[in-house]
Amino acid sequence: MRRYLVRAIAKELRASRALFILAVAGVALGVGSVLSIQILNRSALGAFAGSVRALSGEADLSVLGWAGFLDERLLDEVLSVRGVAAAIPLWRAEAAVDGRTDASLELVGADLLQAAVRAPWRLPEGGLGDALTRRGWVAVTPALAAEMGWRVGDRIPVSLGSRRATLVVGALVDLQRIAPLASRRLAVMDIAQAQALLGERGRIHQLDVRAAEGVSLAELRARLEARLGGRARVLTPEQRTAEAEGLLAAFRLNLTALSLVSLLVGGFLVYASVRASLARRREELGVLRAVGATRAQVLRLVLAEAALLGAAGTAAGIPLGWLAARANVAAVSGTIRNLYLLEGIEAVTLGPGLVLLAVATGVAGAVAGALGPAIDASREDPRALLASITLEERVRARSGRTLAAGLAALAAAAAAHVALRGRWAPSAFVLALGVLVAVPLAAPAAIRLLARAGRPHRLGVAYGVRTLGARLGSSAVAAGALAVAVAMLAGVTVMVGSFRGSVERWLDATLRADVYVSTPSWRRARSDATLAPEVIARLRQAPGLVGLDLLRQVQVQAAGRRISLSGLDGALPGGERRVELLAGDPAAAMAALRGGAALVSEPLARKAGLAPGSRLAVRGPGGETALPVAGVYRDYGTEGGAALVDLSTFARLFGPGAPSNAALYLAPGADAEAEVLRLRAALRDHAVQIRSNRTLRGEVLALFEQTFAVTRLLQAMGLVIAAAGVTLSLLVLARERRGELALYRALGATRPQLFAVFLGRGLGIGLVGLALGAAGGAGLARVLVDVVNPAFFGWSIALHPPWGALGGQALAILAAAAAASLYPALTASRTPAAELSRDAL
Amino acid sequence: MEPVVTFREVTREYRTAGGAVLRALRGVSGEVPAGRIVAVTGRSGSGKSTLLHLAAGIDAPTSGEVVLLGRPLAALPDRERTRLRRDHVGLVFQFFHLLPHLSVEDNVLVPALVAGDPLREAAVRARALLERVGLEERAGDAVQKLSGGEMQRVALCRALLRRPRLLLADEPTGNLDEESGERVMDLLLGLARDEGSAVLFVTHSRELAARADEAWTLHSGLREP
Repeated sequence: MRRYLVRAIAKELRASRALFILAVAGVALGVGSVLSIQILNRSALGAFAGSVRALSGEADLSVLGWAGFLDERLLDEVLSVRGVAAAIPLWRAEAAVDGRTDASLELVGADLLQAAVRAPWRLPEGGLGDALTRRGWVAVTPALAAEMGWRVGDRIPVSLGSRRATLVVGALVDLQRIAPLASRRLAVMDIAQAQALLGERGRIHQLDVRAAEGVSLAELRARLEARLGGRARVLTPEQRTAEAEGLLAAFRLNLTALSLVSLLVGGFLVYASVRASLARRREELGVLRAVGATRAQVLRLVLAEAALLGAAGTAAGIPLGWLAARANVAAVSGTIRNLYLLEGIEAVTLGPGLVLLAVATGVAGAVAGALGPAIDASREDPRALLASITLEERVRARSGRTLAAGLAALAAAAAAHVALRGRWAPSAFVLALGVLVAVPLAAPAAIRLLARAGRPHRLGVAYGVRTLGARLGSSAVAAGALAVAVAMLAGVTVMVGSFRGSVERWLDATLRADVYVSTPSWRRARSDATLAPEVIARLRQAPGLVGLDLLRQVQVQAAGRRISLSGLDGALPGGERRVELLAGDPAAAMAALRGGAALVSEPLARKAGLAPGSRLAVRGPGGETALPVAGVYRDYGTEGGAALVDLSTFARLFGPGAPSNAALYLAPGADAEAEVLRLRAALRDHAVQIRSNRTLRGEVLALFEQTFAVTRLLQAMGLVIAAAGVTLSLLVLARERRGELALYRALGATRPQLFAVFLGRGLGIGLVGLALGAAGGAGLARVLVDVVNPAFFGWSIALHPPWGALGGQALAILAAAAAASLYPALTASRTPAAELSRDAL
Repeated sequence: MEPVVTFREVTREYRTAGGAVLRALRGVSGEVPAGRIVAVTGRSGSGKSTLLHLAAGIDAPTSGEVVLLGRPLAALPDRERTRLRRDHVGLVFQFFHLLPHLSVEDNVLVPALVAGDPLREAAVRARALLERVGLEERAGDAVQKLSGGEMQRVALCRALLRRPRLLLADEPTGNLDEESGERVMDLLLGLARDEGSAVLFVTHSRELAARADEAWTLHSGLREP
């Protein structure tokens, strides 16, 4: 049988190259989608873990501040704990490189004397003296030096907050050699210099602890926690990576789910291709069965062919996925850096694990797609297989049962979601999956409905549309695959459009000031990126200033998670308009804020189960403080959660400090853009970013678009697969209905007429795919907007369907279906009338 | 009277995959005048069906000439040949070749759809033909529900819908039992005569051939004198 398999595959390849290529392309695109997302997901986590490994090396535990920073006096206390062999203090902050847009250094201030012995990296021979004595000495990675064109000895102007400093490239240290995925922006300098030039004396961010030999880590961790008494937390490197993984979980899951839809659509192509191949080879299978082949052998033969098809698709899909991942590194990396404040992706790597995943996905997907037709073929007895297929063959009318199965699947998914809601977050995806399963199963019924449309008057496009139901098996698979892709496209488009509409409305409601001031390093350095007092003083002198809103911000552990806590002036006149409360009176909420309460963002409220009246437990340097929650406000800035307190409360929790942001309210009629220019000129010696309300709004929306760049790529890949499905199915139809086409030719139909019939069939598939996809998309949009977003990201979105974009997409889909029909239509139109004499019907 | 179709020294050769040359027809000549019924008989492989395909213009001779309604088919482009067939030739096949997704009446109407004829008038004609063959009650039925003889009667109505000048029938009773075959042949010849169509039909049956005005016998591609 094995020898027969090889010959059969070779023959099949020769006989139907176009079908094979299309099916392989479908698998390749599906595998490419899944693989690209997995590469990006793993690279994102690898970047964080790599940086941990490159810096902390063999550190067993890390002591971290609840609010991101520590008092360096904790070092002595940590060293005094039994079982601690060594403790290395680290100062860390992301400094902006002046004059280079979006360029930054992940600065690490370390005790270089200790690091020389214990760190996994080494300074060049004789470099230690220079590092300790030369002002601004910093070691950068060779990769960054090459990218920026830096050489040893070059001066680098940097800033942290509004404070500027000049660093000097002292050495090139290849931290990526220690951990290939570690950030190339890591830069190491002496801790004392870092504190003096850019930070604050006495303030560090991390203590790496090395345990003495033979000491139990769990016990040491417990002893350290007891000694620190809640002033800091103690984590293993694995726990730190797991924490980052948790932060990215929803983002990663969403992309993975979207990529799996492409794989599902690819599976349809395999199904259609195998089905067509088996229909063509019934007689061959009948002969095999008649001469003694068992059902199992026939099943194995068909599945082995499908597995080979899957392997070919995987071979093409792996480089495709790799290229797609590379093309999207910048967008995903930007999202991870800006929204999740984690390390950006440095390099995409394709390890053996991911290759195995791709092979398993491609081969298993192809075999799964072939399973149905393969089982059908193996179940038929030899007599049935050998019976010639004629025009009299009965059209299987199983459309009613299929539709019922789809509706049952949808009902089951809805029931599962209702049962699991609140207990298992991915139940939202079960509901989405139910929609995606129901949509293609409705395709046969929809096509039969189309066949009932008015009687066409000519053999042409309309006739092609109306007679689509004649071979339901082929046309329904194509329409179903297209419907799934359209449902995904429409659902995600509505979700993104609604999200964008909600963000715009939110910006309109809350972005009230005329001019906003922050620093180039603020987005990632937060509490370390402060505005100097002289900057604040200059802002106060702005002509026409009616209100100056100052904001302090810190990343802090609260309610069991890392949140962004901001301190603002609760007494600012009209300040209640800065937040949009989900419920309640904003003025009363501000009054409560001044009294020491907190407002929590919607995502935090959902994830931590907070509501007005409950208490938010914030871990500051002085331990835990429970703040009363005065209200819940709308926020799309961070899915991790955010909270607002009055500046006085903030100072009570974290001590006095400078603000990181300022907002200027100008007198009515004042020219904000002119004020921006004036302030930029006046503060040119400081590293500040000054934007008008309009500019900031534009930047926020640009960031929003960047977040959805990958989503758009996945949508496009799904549609390309579906278009390939239309071509494949029409080619199958052209082949299966060769006899019918020959009959039309014998009865006098011209080639253009047959071309039009097939164009009509393509458009018919497009119409059914579009109609079902629109219905599925509407359902999917509701699931994404009303269920997935609140469950995973915590924010509620108002439905704002972008009708213009959806209309454009509908036209594009019909055009794609028509374009996908051109080649099959050309093939069909070339059918000679003489084919009829071969009794091929 | 001008013949409807004329064969002049027609030869048709096929090349096999192995390179050998098969001669289906060898220098066949003859003509079918308007309204005349001609039967073509001969053993399997004698070239009977090939002759019909050449008459319909769906195959082309290797040498010689086929003239349909005064127009040499070889000189016509595919489009013209197709139109000539559509407008003046009716075809009946051994295996009926009805479209399973269409009703009885819609199957009869297919030539009108192909030609773009006004459908209302064509439907009236289709009903009349179905009545003639005794299937008016089955007009709305699916064709799969019909017996073989009924299917061939539907195919006959389809062939005659547009009043062809030439009716070509390739073993129209070859797939039917004797009784059904008799009935189909009665209808075919009767309708053709009523419509004034010339008929060229292929058959193995001497009895059926005897009912024609003229019979041609083919033997290994040659027309016997």
